[in-house]
Amino acid sequence: MTTTVAPAPVASKPGRNGKPRTANLFKMLPLTPAIGLMLVFLAGPILYCIYAAFTNMALTGTGAANVTFVGLDNFRKAFGSGAFSNAIWLTLVFTLVSAIIGQNTLGLGLALLMRKSTKVVRNFVGTAVIGAWVLPEVVAAYLLSAFFNEEGTLNVMLHAVGLPGQDWLYAAPIIAVSLANIWRGTAFSMLVYSAALSEVPKEIEESAEMDGAGGWRRLVFVTLPMISRAIMTNLMLITLQTLSVFGLIYAMTRGGPGTKSQTLPLYMYEQAFSFSQIGYGTAIALVMLAIGAVFSLIYLRGLNSEAA
Amino acid sequence: MVTRKRFKAAGALAASALLLAVSACSQGSSTKQPEPGGQSSGPANIKIAYQQWGPGTTMKTFLAGVKSEYEAANPGSTVEVLPIVASENDYYTKLQLMMRSPNTAPDVVYEDTFLINSDITAGYLRPLDDYIAKWDQWGQFEETAKGAAKALDGKTYGVPDGTDTRALWYNKQIFAKAGLPTDWQPKTWDDVLTAARTIKAKVPGVTPFNIYSGKPMGEASAMQGFEMLLYGTKDSLYNSDQQKWVVGSQGFKDSLNFIKTVFTEGIGPSPKQALDPNMGSKVGTELLPEGKLGIALDGSWIYGNWQKTGAKPWPQWTEVMGQTAMPTQDGGGKGKVSLSGGWTWAIPAKSKNPDAAWNLIKTLQTQKNAAKYATDGAQIAVRKDVAADEGYKSSSKSTQFFTDLVSVTVYRPAYAEYPKVSNEIITAMEAVMTGQSSVDDAAKNYDEAVEGIVGKDKTTAGQ
Amino acid sequence: MIARDRISKLASNLVLLAIGILFVLPLLWVLFASINRTAGLRVEFPTDPTLGNFKAVLNTDTTYRPVLNGIVLCGGAALLTMVCAVLAAYPLSRFKSRFNRPFLLTVLFCTGLPITAVMVPVYGLFVQLNLVDTLGGTIMFMATSSLPFAIWLTKTFMDGVPISLEEAAWVDGASNMRALKSIVLPLMWPGIAVVLIFTFIGMWGNFFVPFMLLLSPERLPASVSIFTFFGQYGEPNYGQLAAYSLIYTTPVLLLYLLLSRKLGGAFALGGAIKG
Repeated sequence: MTTTVAPAPVASKPGRNGKPRTANLFKMLPLTPAIGLMLVFLAGPILYCIYAAFTNMALTGTGAANVTFVGLDNFRKAFGSGAFSNAIWLTLVFTLVSAIIGQNTLGLGLALLMRKSTKVVRNFVGTAVIGAWVLPEVVAAYLLSAFFNEEGTLNVMLHAVGLPGQDWLYAAPIIAVSLANIWRGTAFSMLVYSAALSEVPKEIEESAEMDGAGGWRRLVFVTLPMISRAIMTNLMLITLQTLSVFGLIYAMTRGGPGTKSQTLPLYMYEQAFSFSQIGYGTAIALVMLAIGAVFSLIYLRGLNSEAA
Repeated sequence: MVTRKRFKAAGALAASALLLAVSACSQGSSTKQPEPGGQSSGPANIKIAYQQWGPGTTMKTFLAGVKSEYEAANPGSTVEVLPIVASENDYYTKLQLMMRSPNTAPDVVYEDTFLINSDITAGYLRPLDDYIAKWDQWGQFEETAKGAAKALDGKTYGVPDGTDTRALWYNKQIFAKAGLPTDWQPKTWDDVLTAARTIKAKVPGVTPFNIYSGKPMGEASAMQGFEMLLYGTKDSLYNSDQQKWVVGSQGFKDSLNFIKTVFTEGIGPSPKQALDPNMGSKVGTELLPEGKLGIALDGSWIYGNWQKTGAKPWPQWTEVMGQTAMPTQDGGGKGKVSLSGGWTWAIPAKSKNPDAAWNLIKTLQTQKNAAKYATDGAQIAVRKDVAADEGYKSSSKSTQFFTDLVSVTVYRPAYAEYPKVSNEIITAMEAVMTGQSSVDDAAKNYDEAVEGIVGKDKTTAGQ
Repeated sequence: MIARDRISKLASNLVLLAIGILFVLPLLWVLFASINRTAGLRVEFPTDPTLGNFKAVLNTDTTYRPVLNGIVLCGGAALLTMVCAVLAAYPLSRFKSRFNRPFLLTVLFCTGLPITAVMVPVYGLFVQLNLVDTLGGTIMFMATSSLPFAIWLTKTFMDGVPISLEEAAWVDGASNMRALKSIVLPLMWPGIAVVLIFTFIGMWGNFFVPFMLLLSPERLPASVSIFTFFGQYGEPNYGQLAAYSLIYTTPVLLLYLLLSRKLGGAFALGGAIKG
C-alpha cells in the first residue's frame, strides 16, 4: 500500500501548458455516445419530472386518468406541511453531521495521521476503512442495523464500560444512520486527501517547522491552504452524494420510526411510490435538486476564489 | 458557433426524449379496445399476476393447478404465472406501472377491493359486464360480493374470490394462566384493555395484545387496526347521507387514543416490533403458534397459516385459540364490529387478450376451484354453492363464527380517494404510537390532509 | 526534536488503531454470524462453527443465478460507462471550448441527482421503447446514471497526462482517436481502473433500479434478491443472511483487490479527485 502510482501532478492543465487548441465540431464528436445516453435516459426523464411537479399526476385514482396542471399547488402543499419541513431539517442534519463534519473531518484526519504512522498500522486502517466502503449498500445496512441493535455490538461495548445502552435505531435513528453513513463513506474522503497530501512538497512544511511553527499552526496555515482545492471539491462531491442517500436509510429504518429519520429522498419515495402521488413526489425531488444547487454554488464560489 | 449548434441539437434531442416520456406516461384512455366476444378466443398466451410475499404458498399452488387445468382444456394456450415478489405497497406500485402499457400489462391481475376503485378511476381496468351477462355462474355470487368490485359508474370490474371478516383471536392457555375466562366475551374497549393488562401482570414474557398500527403494515393497520376501532364509535370515515368525508370527529381521536394507550402502556408489542413490515406474517406464523401473544385483533383468514397446507402447520390451534367479536367502544350500537374486504380477479384495460383472460377467470372460479381456494386460502366464501359445500363448511372450526359476523360487517368507503385517506390514517397512527405527536395534533394533521385530498367542501364534521 | 517526533508517531499510530478498530467492529458480526448455527444480532464467536449457512444459500435460485445476473448487468453497464466516459473525457480534456465548463458543471451537478426521483418517467420511457424487463435496457440506464461521475473522474485523470506526448503523435499525423488509444490510455490505466471500481461498486449495490425495471424473477440481480429473500419471511435467518452477504460481497472485493494490486496500492484511488 503505497502512494506512488497516483497519476501525474495536478498542475498540468492541458491547453494551458500546450498551445490552447480550440475545438471544432468534428473534434467534439467522441462526446456523442455519452451525450446521447444522458439526453435520452437522464435529461428526458428530468424534464418530464419538471412537468410532473406542476401536475396532480398519480399512479392510481383521478390523477392517473386525467393529469391536470395544478400550478404551484404541490409546492404550496409541501411548504405548508410539517412532514416536509421535518424532512428538510433531517436532511440538513444528516448532510451536516455525516458528510460535512463526519466523513470530511475524519477522512482528513486519517489522511494526516497516516503520514506519520508505521506501515503496518497504515495498511490495517486503510483496509478497514476501504472495506467498509466496498461493501454493497444493502449489506452495509444489515451490518449496521445489527451493530446498532438493542443487543448489538455497540451496546455490548457500552455495557462493558458501564454505560447504559439503548435501541439506537429506535431511540436516535437520525444519529444512527448518520454514523452509518460516516462508516460507509469516509474512505472516499480519506483517499482524496491522501492523494492531495502526497503532492504537498515536504520542503514547504519542513521550512515552516524550521521557522518554529507548531503542529497545529503548520496544519492550519501551511498544509490546509495547499490542499484547499481538494477540500472544496471533496466537500462538494460528498455533499451532493449524501443529499441523495436513499438505500442505506431505507434498508436500516425505512425513514422511521414515525418520521424520525425520514430525509427528503425517503419522504419523496414514500409520497411518490408508497402513496402513488407522482406529482407531489417529483415536486419534492425538485426542491432536493435546488438544495443541491445551492450547496454546489457555495463550493464553486469557494473554488473560484481559490483559483483567483 | 460550434457550441451553439451543439446546444441546438441537444435541445432537439431532449425535446424528443421528453415527448417520448410524456406519451409513455399519459394515460391514453382512448386506446382502442377489442370488443368483448368480438374476436374468437383462440390460443393465447395469458399472463396472470399476483403478489408473492412471505412464507405462504397457497396462491402459488392454487394457480399452478389452475394453469395446468386451463392449458389442458385450451390446447395451444399457455398461462404464464407472474409472481410479483414485493411487499404490499411495492406490489401495487409495480402492478400499476405494468398496467399503464399494453406491452407490460398482465391479462389477469389480483386486486384488493380497497384499491380497485382507485385503479378503476385511473382507467387501468376493463369493465366485465358484457362477459358477466353471458356467464351462468354469476348468479351463484352473494349480492354483497357482486358489489365488491362495482364502481360508481355501475359497472363491475372484478370477480371476487372470497371475503373476510375481522375479530379478536385469543389464546385460551394464556387466558387460563392469567385467570381470565376462556370463553371470553368483551363488551367494551375497556374490557379488552383490562384483559390485556391482566395478561401483562400475570403472564410475563407474553405480548398481551396485538393491534396492527403504523405505515409498514399499510392497509392492515388502517383496516384491521384503526377502522375496527373507529367503526365502534359513533363516528365513521365517510358520511354516506351527506356523501362527505368525516373530519374532526371525537371517534377518530378516541380511536387514536386507544392506539396510544396500547403502545405507551406496554400492553402491545414494542413500537419497533409493530413497525416491522413483516409483523403480519410474524403474528400468524410465530407469535400466535408459539404462544407468545395473548390477544390478536386479526382477520378470519389467519388460521390458513396453521392448516396442513399453510406456512406453519399447527393442528392444536382449534383447541388453543378462541375467537370473539371486537366490541364497540362502550357496548353501544350492535355491540360488535367487523370490517370486510377481499380480493378480486380483474382484467387490465390494456390486456391484449381480454377474451382468453376472461376464460381464465372462469376457470379460477369454477365451483370446484372456488371451493378449493376458499378452503386452502381460509376465505369466507362468496358463492352460495361454495358456502353450502360440506368440505368448505367443515374446513375450519372458525368458519361459522366468522361467517356469522357478516351480519354486522361494514365495508370501507368504496371511493377512489380511499387509499389516500388510508395513508393519512396510518401516518397518524404511527405518529401517535411512537410518541412523535399528541393525539390532538395527529388528528388535526389528518383533518388537514383529508381536506387537501377530497377538497374542503367534501368534508363534514363528526357526530 | 527526535523524541518529540517519536511521541507524535506513537500517538498517531494509537489514534489510527483506535479508529481502525471502530471500523472493523461492525464487520465482525457478519464474519461470526455466517458460521454460527444459531446466529442472532449479537456479536458472539460461534462455539460450534459450521458451513451450514453457506450450504443453505448456495443454490441456483438464491445465489448462483442472481450473482451471475448481477455480473452481467453491472459488468455490462460498467463497461458501457467506461467506453462512453473515456470518449467523452478526451475532447473535454484536450480541446478548449466555451462548451466545456457549462457541460462539466452540469455533469458534476448530475452526480447528486436522486435517481429515485426520475424512476417513474424512466419506466414510462422504457415501456415506450419496449425495454422493460430487458437486461440491455437496464444496462443502458444504469450506465447512464453513473456516467456523470465517471466522465468527471476520467476527465480529471486525463488532465494529468501531459499533452506534449500527443502533440508529437499529431505531428506524425495520428488521428485523435489513435492518440487516445496508443498514448493517453496506456498512461492513464490506473485512472481507468479507479473509475471502473467506483462505477461497479455503485452499481453492484443498487437495488432500486433493477427492482423497478426488471420483472421476471429469473433476471433479477443479487442486490434485489438479497432484499426480497431476507425481507419477506418475518425474522430473517441471520446466519444465512450473513453468509449470503459475504458471498454477495465477494465479486466487488475481488475486483477491488485485483485492481488495487495492479495499481500498486489503494491510495492511488484518491488521485482522481484533486479538483
